Formats: sequence, structure tokens, C-alpha cells
Amino acid sequence: MMGDASKAQEIFHTTLREAAQRAAQGELPNERFWVFRDARWRCLEASKTDLQAEPLEMEEQEMTEAAVSQIEQLEPAHLAIWISAAPEPQRTALALFYLDEFDYREIVDLADLKLSELSRLLAVGRRQFQAWLDATFPKSPTI
Amino acid sequence: MKTLRLSRRQRALANCAPLTEERIRDRSMRAAVFRARGSNDFANQQSFDRAVAALVRAIPIPPEAVEWFSGKDLISPSKWTWKKTARNPAVLAIGIALVVIAGVFVFNFVGRLNDFPGSGTARKLLGIAGSTRSVLLDPVTGDAGTLSDLFFLKHGLEHYDVPAEFADFRTIGCRVFDDDEAHRVAQIWVVEKRMQFFLFPAERNTKTGAVLQFSGWRYVHQEGWVGAVTERNGVCFMAALRGRQKDLAPYIPKVKQ
Repeated sequence: MMGDASKAQEIFHTTLREAAQRAAQGELPNERFWVFRDARWRCLEASKTDLQAEPLEMEEQEMTEAAVSQIEQLEPAHLAIWISAAPEPQRTALALFYLDEFDYREIVDLADLKLSELSRLLAVGRRQFQAWLDATFPKSPTI
Repeated sequence: MKTLRLSRRQRALANCAPLTEERIRDRSMRAAVFRARGSNDFANQQSFDRAVAALVRAIPIPPEAVEWFSGKDLISPSKWTWKKTARNPAVLAIGIALVVIAGVFVFNFVGRLNDFPGSGTARKLLGIAGSTRSVLLDPVTGDAGTLSDLFFLKHGLEHYDVPAEFADFRTIGCRVFDDDEAHRVAQIWVVEKRMQFFLFPAERNTKTGAVLQFSGWRYVHQEGWVGAVTERNGVCFMAALRGRQKDLAPYIPKVKQ
């Protein structure tokens, strides 16, 4: 979400501190995902103060079988930066989806999206990521 | 590979399909994945997603953060609570049904506790007492105790005797009729609290024909009427009035019931 480990860690600790305080006062919300919702809100707040990339039309490419080998060449940090640079709510959708801990209904609930919106954000995100992969790891020309 | 046609919703679901089919938790997603999994696009999507997820898992997490979640699921399963279970409509319906069934059992059990030989007939006669009008009875003025001779001489009913406790009560009328089981029943209406007396054959053992005796007085209740029943010489006597047991109790001798 943040693309910056130190900021992410700071938000993580703030969220847990808030949770501990609420627990001590017996005020924990009776909602299953409130910690994640709270953490997401803090990420969005923190991102507001960051430098924002100018919105630009990103290229899209259909996914290919070669994508897997392209992704394997990536550093995890590159992926984190790429996702964190995505506009909201696409960033949340991609981060929660690829965390592989939530199902689509939970993501829809957490990110206040409709199923059709989540579907579109993921599909577009995949194509944009494929275009970025193609640009980063150009295919060798076939003779 | 074959390409199946997907509805718009199924296409949306397929785009959100989890990385493995084991993680599918709902039927609509299962159906969408089932239809989509024959296509190249979906196969590419799944490989792509798995590769990205593997990379996400490789993102280093600071050790302090790892400690918080070591050995635990990131998301705890929703807690099972009595409150939550009780609010489930199916559980609620079953609960209400069980309470009703238990209530019926308790009601029947309590009713059976006061049963005695002839109690069924006594209840039926209380129903008759409630619907009887004085014009139905032959007018007879005298002491209730004297009607035993009338029943014997006119109707051939032996031992249809009014107990001594009620023998002095002044009568308004009487009649003899057959109940729905062809038993001869004598009915007497007295002045005192517009009470009614019934004399009817005691219940018998169906195999031996022996009278099923019981001692003392037993109470029965039916439709706002109360009756006190005793058995002597194979004939049951019931004093009945509209009201409660405490209205009838002063007339009943204080003996073991």
C-alpha cells in the first residue's frame, strides 16, 4: 500500500497501538475487519501528504504465457512500488487481492467497492502490469 | 482450448477468482471458475496471479511485525457466540417448536397426574352440565337423597345413591339419560349454588370386568366447571358447579384424597 517499508511499519504500529488502547477500554468494534479497515484508512491518510504522481494514461497489454517468467525476474520491492503507485481504489484492490488472504466479498466490503468495480480494477491492473513488464523486460526479437 | 461463454457476472467473478480452487467459498464463484477454466485467458490470468502472489509473499516483513502474527492466521475466523446462534432463524424456529412440544408434554403430564378411573367420563359430564337447561329436567322438589328410590324403581338403576354429604340438598329437577358410551347417567339439579349431581357407572377393567375403584374424592376441571367425584358400589357420584375448586371444597368431607 505504501511502497515504503518504514512508513508501512509506522502505520502498522499505530494501528496496533490504537487496537490495544481500544481493547484496554473495552471498546473494540464488533466488526471482523476493523483492523484492516483502520490500517487502510491510515495508509490513505499518509499517502495524501506524499508527492502524487501526475495522472497519466497507462498502457495496457493482454497477459501472455511469458508473464510468469517476466514476474520471476522482478524484485519484490519493484512490485510493492508498482502497486503503491496505483491510484485509489485500484491500489487497495490489488494489494488486498494479491495478499491472498481475503476473498472477493471481503475485498469488496473492505474497499467499499462493487463486484463489477473490483473486477474491472483487477483486470485493468493486470493488463497495465503486463504492459509495464513488457517495457521492463522487452521480449527478444524473433528472427 | 475451448472458450465458454460467460455471463457478465460470471466474467466479473472470474476476474476476482482466488489463486487456487480450494479457496473458493461460494457457489457462484465456483460456477464461474468451472465455466472459465477451459479458456486460455483464464489459465493465463491464474498463472499471472500466482506468480504475483508468490512475489508478494517474498516481500520482506520486519521481524517485529512477524512476531505479531507468528503461528496465527492473519484473519481470525468469525467468533461463534450463543447470541449469534440464537438469532439464526432456523435455530429460533426449532427452539420455538421444542418449547411448544415441551409445553404440550408438560400439560398432558400434569393432566394425567390427576387422572383416576372414570375421570374421562366425569369431564364429559361437566361439559353436559355447562350446556344443560333446567327445562330439560323433570321437575322434582325434595331432598337429593330420596331420589335413589326413584332411580331404582323407575329406571332400575341400582346403587345410584347420593352420598350422605349431599343427601339433604333441595332438588329442582332430575333426569336419566344414556351418554355416548351407552352408560346410564342420572343428573340432578339442586338449589344450593345451582349445583348439579351426576351418578354414572364406574369404569371397569376391560378384561376382568372388575370395577376400578379409587378412594376418597377426586377433582376434575372442564370449561370453567369443577367436579368432585367419588366411587361407591360400582357407581360414581360427581358434584359439579361452575367455578373453582375452592368453591366446591367446603362441601367435600376432609378425608384423604
